[in-house]
Amino acid sequence: MSKNKIIKTAGPRKVNLEKEVMAKISKDRITMKPKWYFVAGSMLMIVGLVGLSVAAVFLTNLTLYLLRKRGPGVGRLQIMLEAFPWWVPLLAIAGTVSGIWLLKKYDFSYKKNFLLILLAFVVSIGISAWFIESMGLNEIWSRRGPMKRFYQQLEKQENSLPKPRSGPFYHQSQ
Amino acid sequence: MQDYSRVTDEELVEIIRRKDKELYSKIIKRYQEKLMRYVVNITQDDDKAADVVQDAFIKAYINLNGFDVKKKFSSWIYRIAHNEALNLLNKHKKQLPLNKDIDFDSGISLEDELITKELKTRAHFCLSQMSLSYREPLSLYFLQEKSYEEISDILRIPIGTVGTRISRAKILMRKICQRTK
Repeated sequence: MSKNKIIKTAGPRKVNLEKEVMAKISKDRITMKPKWYFVAGSMLMIVGLVGLSVAAVFLTNLTLYLLRKRGPGVGRLQIMLEAFPWWVPLLAIAGTVSGIWLLKKYDFSYKKNFLLILLAFVVSIGISAWFIESMGLNEIWSRRGPMKRFYQQLEKQENSLPKPRSGPFYHQSQ
Repeated sequence: MQDYSRVTDEELVEIIRRKDKELYSKIIKRYQEKLMRYVVNITQDDDKAADVVQDAFIKAYINLNGFDVKKKFSSWIYRIAHNEALNLLNKHKKQLPLNKDIDFDSGISLEDELITKELKTRAHFCLSQMSLSYREPLSLYFLQEKSYEEISDILRIPIGTVGTRISRAKILMRKICQRTK
């Protein structure tokens, strides 16, 4: 396709926008938003997304851990959800929403492949959760560290449930 | 006085942000006519287009610190103008529906020179008969000389969709121009 020259069509009426806009700028009636505003927006979104990812990985990993330890059963998920520190994902969601809100206010031109981002997010959460579970980190965390109390509470509630006799997920050494 | 004619848009933005906000007038000079032509094709109204372009320049200035100088400034400013124009259309409910009475015959082979000629002579009228989804990519490609990638950035649609819309718009253009001869 040949398009070497800009085609001059019956052009629009001439308007002196330069004078009008520059007058507003010179008189400080409009000012640039500071750089920190955009940095804060990006940071909030990153922190929010990281927090959200960590919470999602932890929840998925915990599901795998409980499945391996006790096998699937009614009430298992309920126990996990009751003992789950909900402030973590709530804070993460709040951070993400605020970050996106701030970014949306100035993000005009950079298109993103949201489907690819979502797919990568879900796959990475699954892989990370499986990795944590298979590395035996749940056992370590249940004995020490900041999540010790959470694991103890989970185990306490778990013990109140009847144990399954056998099953594909049931671990004999438990 | 320094000559800024050889300075790129991105470099100029950097200078405006750091040192001299008055140089923003150079940016306006560079883009005023181009944006006016582009927005007139969307709004079909010179006065409204002037308001849209003015708002776009103001918005761009306010958010200049958010612009990533590694990217193309022209795509950024066109995107702002596009958003402002669509906001205005939504406000006034003036967006034209897709011309459903015209079907796309893929068998029609179009001569690009004919399209260019028709664009030159009766571009505004023919363009105004098209729906916005075809009018915009066509005007960006032929009238604003934007690449498929830039159009994809401005309209936030995949490059493949840009190609499809432009080729359909060419068919439409020919049909409309022939019908109204």
